[in-house]
Amino acid sequence: MGTWWKLTRLVAERALFENLRSRSFKVVTGLLLLMSIAAVTIPQILGNERTTYTLATAGAAPSEMVAALDAAGRSAKFTVTYVSRGDSNAVRKAVRDGDATVGLTGGTLYTSNTAGGTFPVVVAQAVVGLETSHLLAGAGLSPQQVAELQSVRPPKQVTVGRVDNEGRAGAGLAVGVVLYLAITFAGTAIATTVAMEKSTRISEVLLAILRPSQVLVGTVVAIGTVTLLQLLVLATPLAVAVRVTDSIGLPPVAAGDITLAVAWFLLGFMLYAFLFAAAGALVNKITEVNSAILPVTMILLVGYMLAITVVTSNPASGWSVAASLFPLSAPMAMPIRWASGDVPIYQLLLAMALTAASSVFLVSVASSIYRRALLITGHRVKLREVLGGRAL
Amino acid sequence: MGLEIRDVEHSFGDRVALDGVSFDVVPGVITGLLGPNGAGKTTLLRILLGVLSPDHGQVRYDGRPVDEEDRRRWGYMPQERGLYPGMPAGDQVVYFGRLHGLSNGDATSRARVLLEELGLEDRWGDRTDKLSGGMQQRLQLATALVHDPAVIVLDEPFAGLDPVAVVSLSETLRQRARAGRTVLFSSHQLDLVQDLCEDIAMVDRGRTVLQGSVATLRASSGRRQLRLHVQAPNRDWLLAYPEVTVVGDEADDLRLEVPADIDPLDVLDAARAAGRVVDFGLDLPTLSQLFMAAADRTLDRAGVS
Repeated sequence: MGTWWKLTRLVAERALFENLRSRSFKVVTGLLLLMSIAAVTIPQILGNERTTYTLATAGAAPSEMVAALDAAGRSAKFTVTYVSRGDSNAVRKAVRDGDATVGLTGGTLYTSNTAGGTFPVVVAQAVVGLETSHLLAGAGLSPQQVAELQSVRPPKQVTVGRVDNEGRAGAGLAVGVVLYLAITFAGTAIATTVAMEKSTRISEVLLAILRPSQVLVGTVVAIGTVTLLQLLVLATPLAVAVRVTDSIGLPPVAAGDITLAVAWFLLGFMLYAFLFAAAGALVNKITEVNSAILPVTMILLVGYMLAITVVTSNPASGWSVAASLFPLSAPMAMPIRWASGDVPIYQLLLAMALTAASSVFLVSVASSIYRRALLITGHRVKLREVLGGRAL
Repeated sequence: MGLEIRDVEHSFGDRVALDGVSFDVVPGVITGLLGPNGAGKTTLLRILLGVLSPDHGQVRYDGRPVDEEDRRRWGYMPQERGLYPGMPAGDQVVYFGRLHGLSNGDATSRARVLLEELGLEDRWGDRTDKLSGGMQQRLQLATALVHDPAVIVLDEPFAGLDPVAVVSLSETLRQRARAGRTVLFSSHQLDLVQDLCEDIAMVDRGRTVLQGSVATLRASSGRRQLRLHVQAPNRDWLLAYPEVTVVGDEADDLRLEVPADIDPLDVLDAARAAGRVVDFGLDLPTLSQLFMAAADRTLDRAGVS
């Protein structure tokens, strides 16, 4: 066993260095980093921009109105600018031309139907408030009493519902998508490496020194490490932003889910990696890789579709439980289901154990396909040729 | 003790590739596994190296069945090139050295010595796919020799080499054999490797058709031809050797085929007694002629080049 690992590690080291040295690794990782930074910073930049509304009035806006709107702007994070026009027609024209958000003359409020959000309502409320104050003052109330009446506020709104869980489910869904993409990319890379070794006949030299399982596990470990590294690159700006600004809107419960996602990536990756490796060994020319891995990609896609359709719609249904336990769909279905918050821990552990056991089984199947397929050259190997029948 | 191949059989489905092949490879004696394309040479070498398992029979090394640990100390050069295209040449040799159990330091220093011996010392950092075909071939040899293997197995090492490369590869193999290594290579270019092999095993259609020392096989074959330029008045002296056939007779030049049981030197003595022998020579059959005779083939249906 000691030698087995020593040689497997050598294979992995070589493949890892070759990957890290390659131009495609540098390009892809750079792009991922840029994407991740953009995903974190762009919403920040957009989010910090304060909204500005413009109020057009005939003549200067009354100071009471300005005071009331500025106060509203401070609490609701918007700025109001004021423009004065000669008469109500000019005010109306300013709103129509887009020079002002809202126009106010006499008893008329001009609004455009394109923009402005709640601003017209705010202005209308301010007008009503000011008018009411004047009437109350006229009715003999002291300024203090008027102010008291003005300070009456509607009850504070607190959204309850399932906001937290929705955020968490969103995180679960994101994890599912990332896992699916990561396994697809890493799997393709593994199949390509195996196909390259076969088409350049390196595998024959390797098989004279190594067991097929050593070549396969070494390659899978190396590419798994590279992919994990790229996932970290993708996640780092996000994690930093959460620490520094705490304003990404990531629900706090997601941290545990993300840790779990890494574990699921490893399990799911190991499971599919050996299928991809076996598929790669079937090709004759390296250009055939894509069609050779199609069956594996299809299985992966079905597992993913199952995860996002069945599990997302009802995480507690029998089908969801089955999808989250079945090894080929579990790596994508279980994280999504787990994020729904009501998965018994034993099911999680069972799903993990089943997936791990399946990948161990697949190592031996893939090794046998690999050994047989590598020596058949000159045409694309059919599965029938390497499965069943007599041993070579 | 070397390598013993005992009664090895292997089939791919219904197609029999090897049908009971047996021969020995002795350390220090360069041995050629010869035969036409499709004779089963590559299959046999793959079985030797453990890439394939035989259906029947055994490969023994030092008197016992060969195992994985033995094979890790062997060196193998397959028929088609097997190198990582994007890897620097030196790293490639070091990597294979380490796979064969060398430490990083040992592998590096041995790789340097070997690349120097093979004339690749200034190519250490070059990407493998930037090297010429001949250089890649030598690099491939380096990956097979870096751990100074006790057993060196090469599949068609001379295929596609220019004459200079053939000479230099032959020299490398002779050096290893002189150092006591067990060297076995396959080739379908029988006459090209005639001078390199000391022992041969000839296979045809999965069977061994001829084996032993090249010198003995050639000398003991009935296909020896004695070439004479003899100034004698007549050919009466030849009457004493009725088994000797006259293949060519032009003026004073005679070409005689001498059967295995007659000593050509006796024939030469008889010629000298009859007249003045100006020139003479003994032409031994080429390996391809031996193959034709052994495999009972005629030129038109044999695949020998």
